[in-house]
Amino acid sequence: MAFTRNNSRAPPWALVTPALAWTLLFFVLPFIAMGLSSLTAHEGGAFTLANYSQFFTDPSYWRAMVNSLEVTGTVTIVSILLAYPFAWILAEMVPQRWQRLALMLAVLPFWTSYVVRSYSWLLVLAQNGVVNRALTGIGLIGEPLQLANTRFATVTGFVHFFVMLLTLTIFANLKQLSPSYRKAAADLGAGPIRTFLHVVLPLTLPGIMVGAFLTFVLCIGDYITPQILGGNNELVMPQLVMMQIGRRGDFPLASALSIILMAVVTIAYLTCARWLKIERA
Amino acid sequence: MRAIIRFAAWVYAIAIYGFIFLPVVVLVLFSLQATSFPIPPFTGPSLRWYQAVLTDARLTSALVNSLLVAVLSSLASVTLGFLSAWGFARFVLPGSALLRGLITLPLTVSYLIIGMGLLVLFNWAGVPKSLLAAGIGHVVINLPLCFAIIYSQMGDHQINIERAARDLGAAEWKVLLMITVPVMAPAIFAGFFLSMTFSWDEFVISFLLTRFETTLPVEIWNLLRSGLNPKTNAVGSLVFAVSIVLVVFFELTLLRRKPA
Amino acid sequence: MTVNARTPLSTLKSHLSAACAAAALLIAAGGAQAADLNALIWCDHSDPALLQPFEEANNVKVNVKEFEGTGAGLAIVDQSQPGDWDVMVIDSIDVPRGVEKGLFEPLPEDKLPFADLFAEVKMDKSTIVDGKRYGITEKFGYNTIGFNKTKVDPADMQSLASLTSDKYKGKVAIYDYYLPVIGMAALAIGKKTADLTEADLPALKAEILKMKANAKLVGEVTASQTALATGEVDILVGGGEWVTAGLAKENPALDFSIPKEGAVLWSQSLAMFKDSRNKDMALKFIQYIMSPEGQARLATSSCYWGMPANKKAALTDEQKNILRFDEQPGFLARAQAYPAPNADLDKKMQDMWTEMLQAQ
Repeated sequence: MAFTRNNSRAPPWALVTPALAWTLLFFVLPFIAMGLSSLTAHEGGAFTLANYSQFFTDPSYWRAMVNSLEVTGTVTIVSILLAYPFAWILAEMVPQRWQRLALMLAVLPFWTSYVVRSYSWLLVLAQNGVVNRALTGIGLIGEPLQLANTRFATVTGFVHFFVMLLTLTIFANLKQLSPSYRKAAADLGAGPIRTFLHVVLPLTLPGIMVGAFLTFVLCIGDYITPQILGGNNELVMPQLVMMQIGRRGDFPLASALSIILMAVVTIAYLTCARWLKIERA
Repeated sequence: MRAIIRFAAWVYAIAIYGFIFLPVVVLVLFSLQATSFPIPPFTGPSLRWYQAVLTDARLTSALVNSLLVAVLSSLASVTLGFLSAWGFARFVLPGSALLRGLITLPLTVSYLIIGMGLLVLFNWAGVPKSLLAAGIGHVVINLPLCFAIIYSQMGDHQINIERAARDLGAAEWKVLLMITVPVMAPAIFAGFFLSMTFSWDEFVISFLLTRFETTLPVEIWNLLRSGLNPKTNAVGSLVFAVSIVLVVFFELTLLRRKPA
Repeated sequence: MTVNARTPLSTLKSHLSAACAAAALLIAAGGAQAADLNALIWCDHSDPALLQPFEEANNVKVNVKEFEGTGAGLAIVDQSQPGDWDVMVIDSIDVPRGVEKGLFEPLPEDKLPFADLFAEVKMDKSTIVDGKRYGITEKFGYNTIGFNKTKVDPADMQSLASLTSDKYKGKVAIYDYYLPVIGMAALAIGKKTADLTEADLPALKAEILKMKANAKLVGEVTASQTALATGEVDILVGGGEWVTAGLAKENPALDFSIPKEGAVLWSQSLAMFKDSRNKDMALKFIQYIMSPEGQARLATSSCYWGMPANKKAALTDEQKNILRFDEQPGFLARAQAYPAPNADLDKKMQDMWTEMLQAQ
């Protein structure tokens, strides 16, 4: 309460209200509108639970959620497994003065447009694309593989982005570790593997969890990557939502599906909540 | 043994870099394609697709729109984020933790859901689709980010400097402009920079909330749907080039300046 | 902590009203100017080569909004204010849906070149409602079999049964639009597209699931076009001149056939909005699109090619050749219209389509 006497000069509410009002008006209110909309019928607008029951009773609808969870889960795990060693190498083996450059280099390709990047993967993975040409060229495979227009392509497109993101969060975490922890562990007779498992890994877990949560949220809500790379051989939730709007302008059903998606993200959030606190330095 | 591990580590790092760069190299290479399909064999180099992009009025105006939306929405995000962060850091407010949670809540929600919500709300309120509507959406996603970055950097030392200035009789607005903003400049800039990045590349909110005038990612999407051609590669490569110039510029000028 | 005279609530209120004022400003800024022509269109109309000559000749800016499918188009109109739109491109068979909603203005027959249209695509049954004409067909083509003639046996392409045969397993792409492909499925099982009812759905579903089992992907315009052009697949279900003609220069091996069972005729019409604030310009636009030059530009638009509805379209011989202009009478004789389900059947067809997409 040290600043009480200044209140008359700078009312604190005037500072925080614009941001709060913005959030209420353009985030909470839309959410309420979406909730109400999801309870109305597309034709006529009468109250109904049909939009939700459609999701739970129609297998092709809830299949989209299963697909979403499978894709997102795979992406999250593969990305962590690929990114952790990479972040480790950058943090431990690259000389200090080159680290910044090494990170910049890893981020650089992501300054291309996101839509274009997904499309570019389509070109890379196509039947006559670079990867198939290279593989048949060196004689590793006889026939081109079907890579584009599959779940594999969707996952590849996602992993590409999230490896970078996770590398950044894990790298930041590794750098915060004091070398003395490891030294202490070594002094106590722990080998490198035990040091890693019992000291380094637990201490970098928060960074991993923050990255994993970000990956989950961004991945499960993404429309572009599966739409461009997946070949519509299966649908994920965002595609299903966009289909309701694009084909029939069915806002109530799209709203209901969005809210179901939101509920799943919330569960993920609660799981990771204790690592996601934003606090002052 | 150590040498083997070192070797394996370098191979691994190079493989990851290769993976990260693969689509971008292919993208840029086939933007120079002379024929109409951006797939092997390479028939270039040719600049015809760059010429096609630069003479396409819809693409160039979308580029300007994107810049406009990115700059303005980031300014709004960083201003609102900074003011609220300052308010929460300096004053003890009732329900502070809850309110801070509210401001950062949009961070945990998919863009698609934010876009859908605004679409439904604007539709009900009769607000037509426009770049401004998309800009509002971009502030919704970037405000929490700016707030979180700036709030996390508001340390006690900065509050002490402010108190000293105030004790010396400085007016509140002077404290804000001459002490707080300069001290917080790195965090403010980081917030602005990140907001720019996200807004510049955001697709689904712009897609749902704009009508005639739209942003570059949406226009590229429209272009994509009209068929496969190296023009898309050329746009992507141009965006890439512009981004690199900007990043290098910021890197050399603003980010280098660290407090002594 | 002392609270000053302004309570949080009043501050909140003042900010809310400020936000409302900002929103009002935004509405004013977002609305298009009256001098503009606002067109709700398919992607072929967004080609600058088509629009620019009209814009320059009439000193007007044409704002375009692309959509796919009548349902989506009507939804956009629903979300707009009356007067927001001047002209719309709509499936000819769906013109009555717009008329029912009271959206369209009758077109002056004497000011448009109806006499020059291919008789089969005038579609009087749907473009004329209660004796008044609300739509004029501008472009048409077929949803049929598009293929690479160097990779498949052209004789097989004369039968829809080939699409579900093992011979082409994994070599097929399906165009991701439910109506024409369901129409093709109807032809394959010997139904007329115009007579489809709910009772036909199980048989139709079985047929499209068989197609899916053979397919490598189900794609929108780009994805399916890309797959065919790059050799990812050899056959495109639902393809036609709209896929192959535009690519003829790059890949002359691409072709389409009208199989013995027939093909689905797509036909797009132009309609004018009743609430248009710029009806003179809207009519001028329709006249321009229907003129021989406008027709040629529309037929060869960058998004997709298609047959011009006007027989007098100023196409070059080469373009006519690519579009198979001279074979049209034979094609039209065997073509059937798009299925035109009512809202209820439409929803069921879309759900069936979703199920097909999800089928493994």
